[in-house]
Amino acid sequence: MHVPITLSVNGVERRAEVEPRTLLVQYLRNDLALTGAHIGCETSQCGACTVLLDGEAVKSCTILAVQADGAAVTTIEGLAPVGTLHPVQQAFWDQHGLQCGYCTPGMVLSTVALLADDPNPSEESIRHGLEGNICRCTGYHNIVLSVQSAAKSLASGAIPEPVLSRDASLTR
Amino acid sequence: MNTSPFVYQRANSVDDAISLLQQHGDGAKLIAGGHSLLPIMKLRLAEPDMLIDIGRLPELQGTRREHGEIVIGALATHHQVATDQEIRSSIPLLADTASRVGDRQVRNRGTIGGALAHADAAADYPAAILALEATIVARGPGGARQIPAREFFLDFLTTALASDEILTEIRVPVPADGHGWSYQKLANQASGYAIVGVGAIAILDGSGTFDDVRVGVTGTAAVAWRAAATEAALRGQKPESGVVAAAADKVDDGVEALDDLHGSAEYRLRVTRGLTRRAILQAVARAQQRG
Amino acid sequence: MEISGQHRFSAPRERVWELLLDPKILQQCLPGAEDLVEVGPEEYEARMKIGVAAIRGTYQGKVKIVDKDEPTSYRMVVEGKGPAGQISGDAKIDLADDGEGTLVNWTGNANVRGTLARVGGRVMQPAAKMIVGQFFTCLEGKAG
Repeated sequence: MHVPITLSVNGVERRAEVEPRTLLVQYLRNDLALTGAHIGCETSQCGACTVLLDGEAVKSCTILAVQADGAAVTTIEGLAPVGTLHPVQQAFWDQHGLQCGYCTPGMVLSTVALLADDPNPSEESIRHGLEGNICRCTGYHNIVLSVQSAAKSLASGAIPEPVLSRDASLTR
Repeated sequence: MNTSPFVYQRANSVDDAISLLQQHGDGAKLIAGGHSLLPIMKLRLAEPDMLIDIGRLPELQGTRREHGEIVIGALATHHQVATDQEIRSSIPLLADTASRVGDRQVRNRGTIGGALAHADAAADYPAAILALEATIVARGPGGARQIPAREFFLDFLTTALASDEILTEIRVPVPADGHGWSYQKLANQASGYAIVGVGAIAILDGSGTFDDVRVGVTGTAAVAWRAAATEAALRGQKPESGVVAAAADKVDDGVEALDDLHGSAEYRLRVTRGLTRRAILQAVARAQQRG
Repeated sequence: MEISGQHRFSAPRERVWELLLDPKILQQCLPGAEDLVEVGPEEYEARMKIGVAAIRGTYQGKVKIVDKDEPTSYRMVVEGKGPAGQISGDAKIDLADDGEGTLVNWTGNANVRGTLARVGGRVMQPAAKMIVGQFFTCLEGKAG
């Protein structure tokens, strides 16, 4: 028996009829083709599936789509207008806060939520705040630097900036 | 990973949820944050036929102060418990415990009521709930009843809640001004679950002697417990380290420790005694600072 | 996974032995046992709905009783298959006089595969102990 849901995803209202057991991450990836939320461990540990639900970082592999009915979801795709990078994304780029990139969407969204709560976190608060995101490359050092850099640029009023074209970005 | 199929029903009120539980019996489970239930359903360790969603019921939300008690709605998330100003200042042991459940994303979704009702052997809250002598309020077809923490946790995943009862709120008596507290935890690195967790409250009298000391332990055994022998050994004593260490060694009096891939029974017992000592000493230090 | 435990019965050893090996009693006392069928000499098949609180599943199992030394000890060879994995193993049961009553000591060794093996370790031992406890408490009632 399918259940009707209505939710706002990256600012766009979406209506769907879903099987109750559909997980939010499956709905986002399979129905909306928003594949930025990754499926990693599937056991609410790794945080690769992290999205913002009404502004709070959550693991979308451990939420039923029906539980998100009526909520506003932000995925990595909706963080900044197309063609631009959010200051947190820019900071991860600048500080080499990613290696394979698998954990990155989750890391970035957790960071956005973390900095919304605590705009100037200590290293300890950053590590505690990102406990729910596991980097399989173990690149935590640069991730912490990225968060610190993002905190600085947000504090100085940074706004999303345009991304360079694909070719240009490779030589940047 | 998918769960088994189930019927989803959103309850309109606590009474509605209770009557749904009565109609559907054992096959129905309540869901709020879902952070205990969905993981075991995905692993097919649980296959309920129906989920009754109580996650948005206003009756189960909010925190208030009432006659020397803080009353916490069952739907308070771990994050809310950890950051609520009233809870932080009046019952810091509970706020600190909540801040160490799982990780940030889990704390944003998981609820205190759900965690207590699920009664995982490795959950964090039972240690604090026992040490704080909290009361669990449950509502069923016959109305509401209050269950003291000591009578709430019965066995592995088993509580005093009847199958048609809903945990509605947690009433926590505010400990005396100037009390000391501590939550000591050895966490599993991946899941954040407590391999061992010890919560302690210490109240010292004017001469610096233990007036009251209460210790709750989680993780070590199939069910959390109050360390009565440790507490008895400390009451009326000066909080000297030798006295505390000797009392902490009695923490597992009559307890059978779990023995699994996260730690042998012997290891768990040693860690439990050590963390009990640290918890009491830190609670004492805080009481001395505040008192 | 190795688990063990003991249970004291107030009934004498012969009576406890009889109960432990009576298929009718087993059907009544094994928590969640449905359709226990004798498929061979000392060999049974059963469908069991087992678990604790929320953790519950239907397992198809086979039990064979071997190495009988009446009324002192026997072994059970067990195989089970359910939604979360497969279990195979064996359990040794020892009976000893204890005053008027009987002391039953049991040791089980289980080999677990599937999800149960990967993540079930944390829940299986306490769950198994609770289920065995329920079984013995029921037997105790039958010993009357």
